[in-house]
Amino acid sequence: MPKISDSIEYKDIVCPFCSLHCDDLELDIIDNKIYVKSDINESCKDKFERNNSTSINTVSPKINSKSQSFDTVVKHSKKLINESNETLIFNSSADVNIARELIVSTSKINGIFDHINSETFLKNIDIYQRKGFMSTSLSEVKNKSDVIVLFSDNILKNYPRLVERVLAPDNSFSVKANKKKIYIIGNKKNNIKQSFKKDGRIEYIDFNIRDTSMLIESLKKKSNKTSIKDNIFNEFLQRINNSKYLTICWATSELIKNVNCYNTISSISEYVISINEKSRAACLPLAGNDGDVSNIQTTGWLTGFPSRIKFTGNYFEYDRDLYHGNNLIESNNIDLVIYVNGISNKKLNLNKKNKNIIIGHPSTKYNIQPDIFIPCGIPGIDYKGLIFRTDNVVTLPLVDIKIPTYRSAQEILRRILN
Amino acid sequence: MATIHLRNGHVFDPANRVYNKKKDLFIQDGKIVKSLKKKADQIVNCTDKIIMPGAIDLHTHIGGGKVNIARLMLQEFHNNSDRDYDLTADFVPSTLKTGLQYIGMGYTSCFEPALLPMNARQAHSEMADIPFVDKGGYALLGNDDYLLAMIAKGAHQSEINDYVAFILKASQCIGIKVVNAGGINAFKFNQRALDVDEQSIRYKVTPRKIVNVLARAVYELGVPHPLHVHCSNLGVPGNFKSTIETIKAAEGLPIHITHIQFHSYGDNGDRKFSSASAEITEYLNKVPNLTCDVGQIMFGQTVTMSGDSMRQYKNHKHAHPKKWLCMDIECDAGCGVVPFKYKDQSFVNALQWAIGLETFLLAEDAEKIFLTTDHPNGGPFTSYPHLIKLLMDKTFRDDLLDRLAVDIKEHTILKDIKREYTLSEIATMTRSAPAKILGLKNKGSLSVGSDADITVYDKKLNDIEEMFAHPSHVIKDGILVVKNSIVQDYIWGKTQVVKPEYDPSIEKKLDKHFKKFNTIGLSNFAISNDEMSEVIGSDVNENECLRKRIS
Repeated sequence: MPKISDSIEYKDIVCPFCSLHCDDLELDIIDNKIYVKSDINESCKDKFERNNSTSINTVSPKINSKSQSFDTVVKHSKKLINESNETLIFNSSADVNIARELIVSTSKINGIFDHINSETFLKNIDIYQRKGFMSTSLSEVKNKSDVIVLFSDNILKNYPRLVERVLAPDNSFSVKANKKKIYIIGNKKNNIKQSFKKDGRIEYIDFNIRDTSMLIESLKKKSNKTSIKDNIFNEFLQRINNSKYLTICWATSELIKNVNCYNTISSISEYVISINEKSRAACLPLAGNDGDVSNIQTTGWLTGFPSRIKFTGNYFEYDRDLYHGNNLIESNNIDLVIYVNGISNKKLNLNKKNKNIIIGHPSTKYNIQPDIFIPCGIPGIDYKGLIFRTDNVVTLPLVDIKIPTYRSAQEILRRILN
Repeated sequence: MATIHLRNGHVFDPANRVYNKKKDLFIQDGKIVKSLKKKADQIVNCTDKIIMPGAIDLHTHIGGGKVNIARLMLQEFHNNSDRDYDLTADFVPSTLKTGLQYIGMGYTSCFEPALLPMNARQAHSEMADIPFVDKGGYALLGNDDYLLAMIAKGAHQSEINDYVAFILKASQCIGIKVVNAGGINAFKFNQRALDVDEQSIRYKVTPRKIVNVLARAVYELGVPHPLHVHCSNLGVPGNFKSTIETIKAAEGLPIHITHIQFHSYGDNGDRKFSSASAEITEYLNKVPNLTCDVGQIMFGQTVTMSGDSMRQYKNHKHAHPKKWLCMDIECDAGCGVVPFKYKDQSFVNALQWAIGLETFLLAEDAEKIFLTTDHPNGGPFTSYPHLIKLLMDKTFRDDLLDRLAVDIKEHTILKDIKREYTLSEIATMTRSAPAKILGLKNKGSLSVGSDADITVYDKKLNDIEEMFAHPSHVIKDGILVVKNSIVQDYIWGKTQVVKPEYDPSIEKKLDKHFKKFNTIGLSNFAISNDEMSEVIGSDVNENECLRKRIS
């Protein structure tokens, strides 16, 4: 165990924050503070370095906004849990090991378990629960894909290093890197603004991604019915038709704003399947940044289902509608929600009609004060862990790079539930 | 830890040539001991019991990406289970149910045969959550661009051996498997078939060459388990010829052909689909260093899951229900998940059932053939007791053949085979032989000093299927985990691995390759023993290699 005063250099550190989980970071830890040495996007750097601030390192457990000792907070949490008739444990961002603990915890209290992003990630699972799906992973895209189509308005904001590390890399062994063609389809102005370097391989097509199905239909019928100019459409179509390995990529969190997200994803998937009759093509859905994939996988192997499970005695059941976390909260069918937000600091929207406990990143934001807030350490900074990458196939090790300020989410869960 | 005395049981311990001999067994500190200094804490009266070492399943898909895809894909089948603790379907059980069902049948070690090195952390995490049993994995090679490029460049065998040894260490595996050698990779470059002597478009390398260099690497490194081979042309009528050519590719080195039933098809007759079990078993019986597991099919709903994305893509048209997934994975391999229902009204499925049984019954040496359904590809592992009854009871077997909805009697020699497996042969093929072929020195045997993994069956049960389905007692690592057929305390097994030596300079080359072409670094690819234990959740047990590396 290092001492706080030690200075340590780390290489090949995995970033726990976005679902690309880039693993090439170099960091210095000086006086238990993190300094990112790698030349990476400022927003990525900030996710590490913001943890150095005094305000983040001096958050105390709270009951109704008032600081309390950990033991007092544990006691009060137990009381709320005991008084609850129906408790929802809401995974708000977690790695594999926190997710494992969440399932055990939910079973202990005969509660309901869901993930905060399940409405989005279930849309991708829906495809292969109903029909066929051909998918690929990041290294295949990097090395084999000659044409890549990405539907997004702000992908570079959510996945800052996607283009440089995967879509338009410097090296690629099956396709010459300089021969790749990448189409980023969406809000052109926004996408160009976010891009930090010019790259002739990338073409931005201005398009309303709500009309993605229409574009796919036009590609299938080889007849442009979209707002894209004919010359641009025809060149795009020709590139796709000549591709050896086409990848179509999207972030479901963006497409879910469409009236019928499922149909949009389904149309992409069917188009990809049709191309595979003669050539090769694959889908690459991008996952959310709240440990969504780690949740799906871990809950999947432990229970057979991705989320929305209720435990009763020795038994559990899945009901996609009945145990929909947000619906349960909005319809006041739950009297206690335990949010476990181990990685992200995004804003949680609490409902004042039920009791709320947050076990979370010390800078977690919320709309109203929770009944109880317990800060926890972050896997990949304070604790070791495991996290799934967006493509569902690579799991990366998270390491403890500094001496933790807070207890792990797992320890807190065990304490309040025993 | 409590001491245990198994008193007066009928012992079957083929590793020590003990067959149905009345004996007492003593257990202390997780091991079988000669005697106890004082009266045992737990005494089990085994007067009417059969005692065998814990069973070992050397080929069962229980962990990794494809298994979880299948679980999530086929949720509508989960609620049809009759188990009240866990409703997942038998062919895609949760990790908890996998452990409970295996230990409930007296299995104490299980091996995942298709562990993609890039997916190793997931597979081990998932298997770590399977209670009771020891686990292990075979690392998939032979479709990874790195190895194919090495072969294409004419790399020296010693360099390939270094790479293979590194992969075993980095992915914490006990063996090496090749699936449709070169075929999965070729599919990524739009090749739709690849026969044993056909060159891939990209690397100009044949499956024969890949099987040869990998079999040699495994042998020269002293890895106990021979190269585990899923042959080219799975399921294709007439494929028995390519199966024999694949065996020849090993040039006499040890080789294990997996789910050989799926690779024993002729193309004779009106239907252009026939049994070639006689040709295959003739080869099996005469060729030394050749072993196989069967991959018996069972009628009913299941799901097929394989690294063989080339063949699975082709098979997706037969999906039942009509849904499927194929994936290209990390320049490493691929996967395909296709649900399937084997129907006894189907000529092909009925004949597949007969081909598997013919293969079992024509194989002369129970040390060379292993009992598997390629769970869940041929059927769930929970059907093993039924399969054992089919092998041990000719009347039962013939009755089922007569009752098939489609008449295949003219196409199978099954009824002419009089053989019935003995309990000793069942013990061999499910205990001593898999332990031997995996290099598990302390398993599959009831010798003094062996791990106390023991299964006790109730001899009074008249039905052999019932007897094998519900052992009365199971001891794992010296702990009585099943008593009177009821699971007692939960325990967690270890991960069995092997780590042959290698020249560490291979890591420098790989590091460079990973930095340039992969999307993770080499240091984050490799899994350490500490990570296995502290983070993934399973301690590692390192097994010895057969010999020092041949350089």
